[in-house]
Amino acid sequence: MVKLDDSIQKRLVVLEAIITVVFSILLGRLWSLQVLAGEKYVEMAESNRIRTITTSAPRGVIYDKNGEILVNNRPSLAATIAPSKLKNKDLMLKLGEILNMAPDEIKEKLKEKTADPLKPRVIKYDIEEDVAVYIKEHSFDLPGVEVKLEYVRNYPTSTIAAHALGYLGEISEEELDKKDEAEYEPGDLVGKSGIEKQYEGILRGGKGSQEVEVDASGKIIRVLDDKEAIAGNNLELTIDANLQVATEKSLVDAIKAAQRDGYPEAQAGAAVVVDPNTGEVLAMASYPAYDASKFIGGISSKEWVRLNDKSSNFPLINRTMMCSYAPASVFKPVTYLAGLMEGVVSYNSTFNCEGKWTGMGEDWPKHCWNRAGHGLVDLSLGMSESCDVVFYEIGYMLYKKGGELLQKWSREFNFGRQTGIDLPSETKGRVPDIAWKKRFNEKYPEYQKWVPGDTVNLAIGQGDLLTSPLQIVNLYGTIANGGTLWKPHLVKRVLTAEGEQIHLFKKEKIRDVAISKNTIKRLQKELRRVVTDGTAERAFSGFPIDVAGKTGTAEVKGKDDFAWFACYAPANNPRYVIVVMVEQGGHGGSIAAPAARRILAAAFGFPQTGPMSVVDNSR
Amino acid sequence: MKNKGFFEWVRLIDFSLIIGTFLLVAYGNLMVYSASYANQGDPFVLLKKQLIFTLLGVLVAAGMAFFNYSWLRHYMLPLYIGNVVLLLLVFFIGQTTLGATRWISIGFFNLQPSELAKIILILTLGAFLADKKGNVQTFSELVVVFAHVGLPLILILVQPDMGTALVLMAITLGMLFISGLRWQHALLILGIGIIAILLIFQFNLLREYQMDRLMIFINPSVDPMGAGYNLMQSKIAIGSGNFFGKGLFSGTQSGLRFLPVRHADFIFSVVGEELGFFGALILLGLYFLLISRGIAIAMSAGNLYGTLVATGVSAMWLFQVLVNTGMTMGIMPITGIPLPFFSYGGSSMLVNFIGAGLLLNVYANRFK
Repeated sequence: MVKLDDSIQKRLVVLEAIITVVFSILLGRLWSLQVLAGEKYVEMAESNRIRTITTSAPRGVIYDKNGEILVNNRPSLAATIAPSKLKNKDLMLKLGEILNMAPDEIKEKLKEKTADPLKPRVIKYDIEEDVAVYIKEHSFDLPGVEVKLEYVRNYPTSTIAAHALGYLGEISEEELDKKDEAEYEPGDLVGKSGIEKQYEGILRGGKGSQEVEVDASGKIIRVLDDKEAIAGNNLELTIDANLQVATEKSLVDAIKAAQRDGYPEAQAGAAVVVDPNTGEVLAMASYPAYDASKFIGGISSKEWVRLNDKSSNFPLINRTMMCSYAPASVFKPVTYLAGLMEGVVSYNSTFNCEGKWTGMGEDWPKHCWNRAGHGLVDLSLGMSESCDVVFYEIGYMLYKKGGELLQKWSREFNFGRQTGIDLPSETKGRVPDIAWKKRFNEKYPEYQKWVPGDTVNLAIGQGDLLTSPLQIVNLYGTIANGGTLWKPHLVKRVLTAEGEQIHLFKKEKIRDVAISKNTIKRLQKELRRVVTDGTAERAFSGFPIDVAGKTGTAEVKGKDDFAWFACYAPANNPRYVIVVMVEQGGHGGSIAAPAARRILAAAFGFPQTGPMSVVDNSR
Repeated sequence: MKNKGFFEWVRLIDFSLIIGTFLLVAYGNLMVYSASYANQGDPFVLLKKQLIFTLLGVLVAAGMAFFNYSWLRHYMLPLYIGNVVLLLLVFFIGQTTLGATRWISIGFFNLQPSELAKIILILTLGAFLADKKGNVQTFSELVVVFAHVGLPLILILVQPDMGTALVLMAITLGMLFISGLRWQHALLILGIGIIAILLIFQFNLLREYQMDRLMIFINPSVDPMGAGYNLMQSKIAIGSGNFFGKGLFSGTQSGLRFLPVRHADFIFSVVGEELGFFGALILLGLYFLLISRGIAIAMSAGNLYGTLVATGVSAMWLFQVLVNTGMTMGIMPITGIPLPFFSYGGSSMLVNFIGAGLLLNVYANRFK
């Protein structure tokens, strides 16, 4: 054996030392990763492989009062994608071609930020069977794309009661922030309007969850844990589907009749039928309407723009309770009652209508709708003929008495406040008063002062007064039942998915109005007279049921008159209170009253429908 | 007489090296199977190929017992030329995979000349340095050494195969160190290395993926879904193994394919995940044994050439083990350097067996 150079020996020893150091470093690192930080990495490995898939619960079914299904669910094949794959341009192109969507459209569907980039999100519902098969067969070329069976809303009765029912849409970011994070995830469908929104928590049910093991591509290998979804509860509405159909049809017919009769701008309207003894809403129609099924799978942006465009008259708006209008003469009962209650007039008071009224001085003339004048009229005739001069007088007297009495009595009937109906986005309307006017004209000091004319205008339901059709229904319902203001409501019962009753919504009293029974009885008589001898006589001639009501024709600056009619029937034992309003439809007596008659005919089950329109020039 | 012959024969064999190598490849083949059985198709396909190369490797190593390694010293020039020709051939008839041209197809398997270049360099550089009597004292000698290494190194760098090029550098430095590298020269090499790195960055000579890998090494959380994914998944795999691992064939990171190239570059992560600190400790222990045997053989070698060759082989393995396992644990940048005797790959397996054969040869001839 040749002895190696000492220096080489030494250097080999150094090398061996280096080797030892290297291995010590590696072992140290191993120790820190596996033993010191091991638990952290175990967790990370678990979250890599275990995914929780939430399954949405079947949403509650919505029935009408007779058990007819208005909304239920139907299965739909849906294409889903893991949001992390959105960056894959090739995949987007391929998928776009298969689903007949632009790649941008796919991204648009997933615009809400998502918690989990691997959790599949629906990009298209209702894909064809053969498309679903194609996707499944080509799963290798379409990583992250899956087909799932989802349940979507189904509307067996087509578009009826669309506004009351509402529609579903994907939860927005703001809604996500507001709602309980654990329950809601991006991509969830939630009620966006109507009953669907108001009763979201009841309809929705509890999500199911499935714990699955997935591989790196997100493919499910096996199911580890399965928790079934809890179906949402069902709702039984107070709506009567048949009456709803008749109400919607009567409203559309009224609008068409108005167009035919020289009011081409008549494009929109509202009609409500309520049980005056309970506040139950039996029918609620708003025109134009929309098709809630268009929202399944997310509405196209084009359609959304159309639905929110002025030219389509905002079909998503529920005009019965989201909008407020000048009620004109249908408001006169309030003035009537205020005048009597405050003692500024009595049943024996008489008024001289010359067509022109100069009660506030010659410089401030006001006119009756009947320019020829009604001559000598008493309170009763003033109501049945809707004589403006009578109400100018009452209004002016109330003004002079001071204390904003007309406003006080308006509020007694809940004007200027929400009725509290179980629907979102209800308007409060507006009862103008001194404080309001000052605030409203903050920038125009010359208009801030409340003038007598303001009260006089309010007395005939014009001026700055705004009411929703539903508030007017509440007024007439209260008159009809003798003085109780009931809270209108749409849901009667909550049922389990199996049909067991969980909750019954009882009628809810807002208040008994502070008006004597006799005074209300007197008003009931006057309203009956409106139909027998007054402005609604022609609309109801030959109608077999006794009806009491009031016509209204509202002046709106720059627009044609808005036609109103409010009534209840049978007059002596009211079961229905109805309000019909047609925007720019002309005279209430000629357009709105016949529509109310047709609705009543349907409610009472008469085959005849009455005239589409009659001649009435009152306001 | 007969008995004496048997003992003579036994004294020529380094059993600890043989047993260590055997345990390593057995362990390696098992892990290759564990890392690949869940793949699509035949679960044994990779294991079968790896076993074939293991057997081929054993044969090659055994074949090397029939001649004295010193004989190779005389073939420095043909070996060197052959090395360069093979590397050049890659450019003309090489197979391109993932943007790199590294393989020459020879019938049933793809030869990777850059792998072979490592062992050839050990032999030629060893001969070259041995001729200098193990003394590289002058600057000009140093330049010649680097010229010797430089040609194959550049040919490998442009394939590109940064990992193997770095292995060549490690081999060279290891052998130079034994050849009495002066500390001034060591500093000089260090300085040139730093300047080279600066130049590489200055002129953007790194490919995009190489740049990404470096950035990730510096800051692993840069891009957890993209380039940092592999490193993150590897660390999760190893870390989640804890002390005893999740059990053989029970790794979720590897079985569910979160780990990339788990049968080759990231096979250490599979060991860490499935067999834990305990399994990784055994593996590193086997490497320590193997490499230390290499150094011991270098010490006991009958001549300087043997010492240099044994040092070269040891340096090669040390560097590969350090960079490969270090990479999987996030303390080394990501480079495609295989784990000796362990990672799936034919060329690599053969070259490592040649290395082992050389060590056995040097050991057996230590008295001559």
